[in-house]
Amino acid sequence: MENAFTIAAYVVAAILFILSLGGLSGQESAKRAVWYGIVGMAIAVLATLIGPGAGLSGASIVLIALGAAVGYQLATKVQMTQMPELVAIMHSLVGLAAVFVGFNADLTINMVSAAKEAGDALDGTFALLVAKKTPVEIGILRVELVLGVWIGAVTFTGSVIAYGKLAGKVNSAAKQLPGGHMLNAAAAALSVVLMIAYLGGAGSWTLLLLTAAALFIGYHLIMGIGGADMPVVVSMLNSYSGWAAAAIGFSLGNDLLIVVGALVGSSGAILSYIMCKAMNRAFVSVILGGFGGGGGEQMAVEGEQIAIDADGVASALEEADSIIIIPGYGMAVAQAQQNVAELTRRLRARGKEVRFAIHPVAGRLPGHMNVLLAEAKVPYDIVLEMDEINEDFPDTDVAIVIGSNDIVNPAAQDDPNSPIAGMPVLECWKAKQVFVSKRGKGTGYSGIENPLFFKDNTRMFYGDAKASLGELLNRIS
Amino acid sequence: MKIGTPKEIEAGEARVAMTPDSARALQKLGYDCMIESGAGVAAGFADALYAEAGVEVVDSAEALWSGADIIAKVREPQDSELARLATGKTLISFFNPGGNAEGLEKARASGANVIAMEMVPRISRAQKMDALSSMANIAGYRAVIEAGNNYGRFFTGQITAAGKVPPAKVLVVGAGVAGLAAIGTSTSLGAITYAFDVRPEVAEQVESMGAEFVYLDFEEETQDGAATGGYASVQSEEFRNAQLAKFREIAPDMDIVITTALIPNRPAPKLWLEDMVAAMKPGSVIVDLAAQQGGNVEGTVKDEKVVTDNGVTIIGYTDFASRMAAQSSTLYATNIRHMMTDLTPEKDGQVVHNMDDDVIRGATVAYQGEITFPPPPPKVQAIAAQKKEKPKELTPEEKRAREVAAFKAETRSQVTLIAIGAALLLAVSLIPGMPASFMQHFIVFVLSVFIGFQVIWNVAHSLHTPLMAVTNAISSIIILGALIQIGSSNGLIIFLSAAGVLMASINIFGGFLVTRRMLAMFQKS
Repeated sequence: MENAFTIAAYVVAAILFILSLGGLSGQESAKRAVWYGIVGMAIAVLATLIGPGAGLSGASIVLIALGAAVGYQLATKVQMTQMPELVAIMHSLVGLAAVFVGFNADLTINMVSAAKEAGDALDGTFALLVAKKTPVEIGILRVELVLGVWIGAVTFTGSVIAYGKLAGKVNSAAKQLPGGHMLNAAAAALSVVLMIAYLGGAGSWTLLLLTAAALFIGYHLIMGIGGADMPVVVSMLNSYSGWAAAAIGFSLGNDLLIVVGALVGSSGAILSYIMCKAMNRAFVSVILGGFGGGGGEQMAVEGEQIAIDADGVASALEEADSIIIIPGYGMAVAQAQQNVAELTRRLRARGKEVRFAIHPVAGRLPGHMNVLLAEAKVPYDIVLEMDEINEDFPDTDVAIVIGSNDIVNPAAQDDPNSPIAGMPVLECWKAKQVFVSKRGKGTGYSGIENPLFFKDNTRMFYGDAKASLGELLNRIS
Repeated sequence: MKIGTPKEIEAGEARVAMTPDSARALQKLGYDCMIESGAGVAAGFADALYAEAGVEVVDSAEALWSGADIIAKVREPQDSELARLATGKTLISFFNPGGNAEGLEKARASGANVIAMEMVPRISRAQKMDALSSMANIAGYRAVIEAGNNYGRFFTGQITAAGKVPPAKVLVVGAGVAGLAAIGTSTSLGAITYAFDVRPEVAEQVESMGAEFVYLDFEEETQDGAATGGYASVQSEEFRNAQLAKFREIAPDMDIVITTALIPNRPAPKLWLEDMVAAMKPGSVIVDLAAQQGGNVEGTVKDEKVVTDNGVTIIGYTDFASRMAAQSSTLYATNIRHMMTDLTPEKDGQVVHNMDDDVIRGATVAYQGEITFPPPPPKVQAIAAQKKEKPKELTPEEKRAREVAAFKAETRSQVTLIAIGAALLLAVSLIPGMPASFMQHFIVFVLSVFIGFQVIWNVAHSLHTPLMAVTNAISSIIILGALIQIGSSNGLIIFLSAAGVLMASINIFGGFLVTRRMLAMFQKS
């Protein structure tokens, strides 16, 4: 099914994909890198279409065109704040495609063995390939396709649920059916049993049942994870979609699928690791859902939250020389990034130093805030990472917290019993004055009281972030 | 109980430790007040004013010392006064306990309790009774006024019809309380003011008062003012040389120099040497506020004003506060009153000499027949200790050793990982009947994972969202699987493959387009 030409094309495509990922190390090179990815994909698809492997090329092209139209709509219509949802739902498509391809492989195996017994002729390149395999190779092929289907199914339902939670269509709180992780464990055990049965030749029904178990695991696992952990979940699903592609690559004997699957899989794994580290949590505890209980009573928070109106914030900003803005998910929800950017432009025009401090897990997707700020045309060189800016807070006149909570919670450093103890946080309370733009007095996603709001130098600027900042803009010209 | 204030017997001392106002406040604490006739006259408070405030005016010092239980005065007591102390009496006064061992012994022998006003600890709570600071404030102000009195020109620059007048240039050495007061006075008179202090952390205070801080070109471990209770301490030789060189450089430009550098219980450091005095313009004025302890300036004569050969006036008065007796008496009497408030917790006119109180304990130098000087260090640090941020400098050997250790640890962890990886690979290959075709694919897989890890670590944090979109798009490479399978004779297979092709292509186009959209937004300022 592969001739020298397709293999050569695959090598070129693989190299382009690697360059594409490597190019994301900087904003400028990234613009080139995305083209490498596009060209690589085009080469891979074209080579497969015109190579000897494919049949029904005409239909395929029509389908691709159709997919292109849908994809174009999605990509151009999506709001930048909805990025997490889009990424999640796209993962689900990869997962489902992997499941289908896996099913096909199983069907083909059955078809081939039936044809062999009947002595019929085979058509279809993949069927011919399968027909050439030895029984051992067929066995391995089955292991691979089971893995591909299983991972693909988990990715599919998991991504759908993650999409639902991010889009607000499913309650984002951690929820589980009675039985909790026992159900997951039971489903996993069932999967193993079914896999053994399937490999033992029990027939295709075991594969279907196994898929059902995997779909359940994906659903239940992600339902049990709270909204604040979504960055980890999304990158984990990203990783899974890669591993699913790699497993399918094995079963189809296609090296390009293996290479790309492995690249995507390891990329997602590293992202998950970075996100977990930023929250100071073990990967397992995130996946198992819910915050681990601390070893004792949490510190009681004393004092009261003092409110301030737009006039107060405006006059403080007038006097400040250095300002750091800490955006969070609340800014994304309120679509306030344009107002934030406008405020930044006006303050910068007056010669004030305005910078942004981005916590690694701010928002619901790795790098979410950067994308939103970039959309609003905030120059990326004033948008800094936590480690770059954390030491500058003591020299800062005003810190503005917009819709973030846990990532600026001093309890992570002060209170060893806090559920987020040890999580690296932005030390905004060291600034001379802190304004917190927040909808109400509620707690963050982790449900923890934030002592920052009670500090002497903190003033609460209540209200929807977009509206509050709009009022502020009326007062600062 | 009765509080009495005698007339100061030191020649030229015009201050008084009780004013009519402070007497009224003391009476509210439950005390009766006495004053020696004529004690306040020099400070502008006549006997009649005291009488009006309800103070008993007595004729002689003897009557006062015998009648009062608590004696409040200004200057350190002389022998004749110490002789009048007795058990049960309390003396509140400047005492100079560090340089007055003889007087301290006499006070102890008398059995009286003695509170030395200069020993009030420098903590926030005790600021209201810190007489050194209130007197230093006056001295600083007065130093500028004295300088102006002897300086034949304007402080402020003016452009008049009769010509242009340049502003005076004033240098204040030592930015303690007196120094800061001098800086404030000088800038408000319009002079260009420079200030120097060995503690660079006061530069901010200096600049807040409107003066320019004179920095040295000198790198040394800066001293921590907190360790010495906010006072300067002795400097190293190199530092001193750098300091003198700087002074030498700016001396010819300065019209007025006010030196306030004092180190507790030591002779004042000589900072303004003869050659600097000689370098100054004729008509310039130097005010040496450290004259009491020998002076910062070479050529200072204590309590006198001298004019050098090149026409520079050096003022060595030690009685600046006394020269503003009305003001200084008011402030000092208030300090005393605050001390009495702390000594009278019940406001019932009875002294409770609480030796567990940091402030009272610190200021008490003789208590019930015992010398209680020097006091133990206060429990509360005067100034929050500066954060020691700089990690210890490593010697080259230590650095080297650390690098070697880090290198070894890295090597070890890498070798371990490689060994584990190799063992796993070997284990897979040893599975009976493992076909070579699988192993080929497996190698490709392992290498790709390896490349993935190498590449992804370099991705910028801010590009994580584009990274996810790109990986999402390229994971749709699974479309190849569907494309291969679609050419089958089985209808179900064709259907599933077609669905796979459709979904994957949505993903490809959507993923790449959205990535491009995002990346186009990242802009540099």
